Amino acid sequence: MGLRELLPGRRARPTPGTALADLAAASAVDPRTPLAQVQLLALDLETTGLDPRRHEVLSVGHVPVVHGRIVLARARHELVRPQGPVGESAVHHGLTDDRLAHRPDLALVLPGVLEALRTGDVEGAEDARPVRRVLLAHFAQIETAFLSAACRRLYGTDVPLQVVDTLTLAQRMLRVPTPELASGRLRLDACRRHYRLPRYRAHSALTDALACAELFLAQSAELAEQHGRALRLADVLAR
Amino acid sequence: MDVELAEIRDFLAEHAPFDTLPADVLDRLPSRCTVSYARRGTVVLRPGDRGDRLYLVRSGAVDITDDGHLVDRVGAGSGFGMSALVEHAPTRYAATAREDTLLLELPQPDFDALVAEHPAVAVHFATTHHGRITAAITQLQTPARGSAVLKTAVRDLLRVDPVSVAPSATVAEGARAMTEAGVSSLLVMDEGGLIGIVTDRDLRRRVLAAGVSPDRPVAEVMTPDPVTLPARALALEALLEMTGRNIHHLPVVEDGRVLGLVTTTDLVRLERSNPVYVVADVQRQADVAGVVEQAARIPAVVGQLVREDASAADVGRVVAALTDALTRRLVVLAESALGPAPGRYAWVALGSAAREEQGLGGDQDHALVLADDADPSDPWWAALAERVTEGLEACGLPRCDGDVMATNPRWRLRVGGWRAQFGRWSDEPAPDAVLQAAIFYDMRAVHGEAELVEGLRAEVVPLGGRSDLLLAHLTAQAARMRPPIGFFRGFVLEDAGEHRDTLDLKRGIAAIVQLARVHALRARSTALGTGARLLAARDAGVIAAETATDLTDALELLSYLRLRHQAAQVAAGEAPDNHLDPRRLGSLDRRHLRDAFAIVRAAQQGLSSRSPQVG
Repeated sequence: MGLRELLPGRRARPTPGTALADLAAASAVDPRTPLAQVQLLALDLETTGLDPRRHEVLSVGHVPVVHGRIVLARARHELVRPQGPVGESAVHHGLTDDRLAHRPDLALVLPGVLEALRTGDVEGAEDARPVRRVLLAHFAQIETAFLSAACRRLYGTDVPLQVVDTLTLAQRMLRVPTPELASGRLRLDACRRHYRLPRYRAHSALTDALACAELFLAQSAELAEQHGRALRLADVLAR
Repeated sequence: MDVELAEIRDFLAEHAPFDTLPADVLDRLPSRCTVSYARRGTVVLRPGDRGDRLYLVRSGAVDITDDGHLVDRVGAGSGFGMSALVEHAPTRYAATAREDTLLLELPQPDFDALVAEHPAVAVHFATTHHGRITAAITQLQTPARGSAVLKTAVRDLLRVDPVSVAPSATVAEGARAMTEAGVSSLLVMDEGGLIGIVTDRDLRRRVLAAGVSPDRPVAEVMTPDPVTLPARALALEALLEMTGRNIHHLPVVEDGRVLGLVTTTDLVRLERSNPVYVVADVQRQADVAGVVEQAARIPAVVGQLVREDASAADVGRVVAALTDALTRRLVVLAESALGPAPGRYAWVALGSAAREEQGLGGDQDHALVLADDADPSDPWWAALAERVTEGLEACGLPRCDGDVMATNPRWRLRVGGWRAQFGRWSDEPAPDAVLQAAIFYDMRAVHGEAELVEGLRAEVVPLGGRSDLLLAHLTAQAARMRPPIGFFRGFVLEDAGEHRDTLDLKRGIAAIVQLARVHALRARSTALGTGARLLAARDAGVIAAETATDLTDALELLSYLRLRHQAAQVAAGEAPDNHLDPRRLGSLDRRHLRDAFAIVRAAQQGLSSRSPQVG
């Protein structure tokens, strides 16, 4: 599910020169593009809860998937200082107020995420024209909702994203009914077990982003086999 | 940057050679890597591909094959693709995902840098690479039958029924069941299906170390969905699975049913019977006692070969190689105790050892051939002979009744002395001396200067072939060794002594050996093996092609029956001999045996009618 669906109606243009404007300027990926040529960004957020209106982002982890490979050199992990206390949620993510006290605000972290969501970032001009990276997440609603809320708060608007959701893929491939939303993380482990992927002991935003990216590689390999052909982006794009 | 790829870092830290890296190098390594995924059956590398990265299996398994032959199976924590990196050449092997596999990839420049800075890493990958080449070459060299692990199916390794419990059983109950059965692993079965396995290691790590109560259900500490092997899988595959995954127990499954369990101990036992390992172990021994200890393994090696249905000719070669290894080691140990030899010499095997046709329970037949400038009266030679003979005796090879051993000064001659001795056997043969002499026409250098022996034989064999008198005596000897042709009707058996009512297989074998020896001499061939001699005689037109084939087959059958008989004796804790009780033969073997003896008899008659006669 993309931000478009969450935000019906007109959307204001972002202010030029901002990271959001650069992302908006990058071209979206044609859904007919062979999946092997698509760049994705596996993203995971640790938050104090599920509601972007009441809860806050505490950490961001992301790692790109380029031509079927997870590029660990570009893996990033940022802890974020929240406005309020982390409260009970520390039980889930292990991030305490003390640990986050000297971390940057989300306003400083968000531009890095938006840069990673397109090619042609500061680390190299690999393409003449920047192309967006498809957002890859497990139970992607959390990531899209919090990103969108942050963008609107900081830039007054947001940008539609193309999304691949490994939870949706799993549901589609395994034909299971919609699971409890709150159990997203458990589901990630369960999905990985299905493919006998290694068990990750600790959870962090980056570990989960990596876990999600690996799951996606496994899922797309199986899906390609089921289809008997190479996949296109449209085959995995969230609908 | 934090060590944020801690999972990858920890994974690397758990596996060789990365476990040897300093922490800061290890911390930086994950960010050099990419991750890819190969669905089961996907070819990751093809021979000839330009490899540009090292692959590490993160999860799953990859088969490394060379022209279709399995060279290695790579499990989590192990690498492949190094052949191209180490050799800077195209990939040698194919790498195919055996399971859905997650791969960690390290690009060549980073691999090169790592190897340059950390010799232990370089050694590890060079060794792995070398090991795969060795395995590939071994496979090439063993087309028909290879080592036991290549040949044995895991089905044949299963010894005891596995111990199992229901998933609801407590850890304590499981541990008790394991202790009672004296096993190190426990299968967890639900409605007849295997759902998990618990090993000693699991009890230690997941129960004791983790402080888990022994009252918890065993299902909570088991490894779910363990790796299994089909019953037809080779021991090699079990070995690769175990080393690749660092596990020690593999359930064996057929049609969804668990047949049993293969353990590393089973494989070690199997592999220790590999003659190659025995030879290597013999060479490592620093004293006679050590050599004797290794010699005790030989009957088990032969037993294993017989179970693998190796041909008697193959087993003969293996036993000869093992006996040679013992002899060589004993000679080297004697040399180091006595000081350097006072001249050039060769230690030679005689008789069946020279022909590489030994079974079990043979005795010692050997001699010394000294260079013409050596002094045979030097006490060093006698001391060497005594030490080696004594060592071989301790290894279970009795001294020769006829004293045809290097300890006998008559059989410690210079080349010139041997030439004169063979000349006497050819020119003025006294019948008894000649019969004893036959064995000297089977002479093979085991240690020392082989060319002394080759030169000698090249001279004396044609000499013997030209001597009608010698040929006549040898022919008579071959014809006298009457095989028990009538045993099929009334059993012509040994009629006295401890082997009463048995059939001496050695008589049939000896008859063929003697026939081949005299035919080869007539052909003036220096061939040593009975099969090779028959072929040489056939090629020289001395015997008919079918005679050569028939005798070769008969020898193989008799030797095979003898081996099977001896292996069974050894397995039963008896001393091996040549005396077969024909009542214990199946009707097919009995018929074949009768045919074999008939062949020998016919060949003997043919020989007598066409050869010079002696009175």
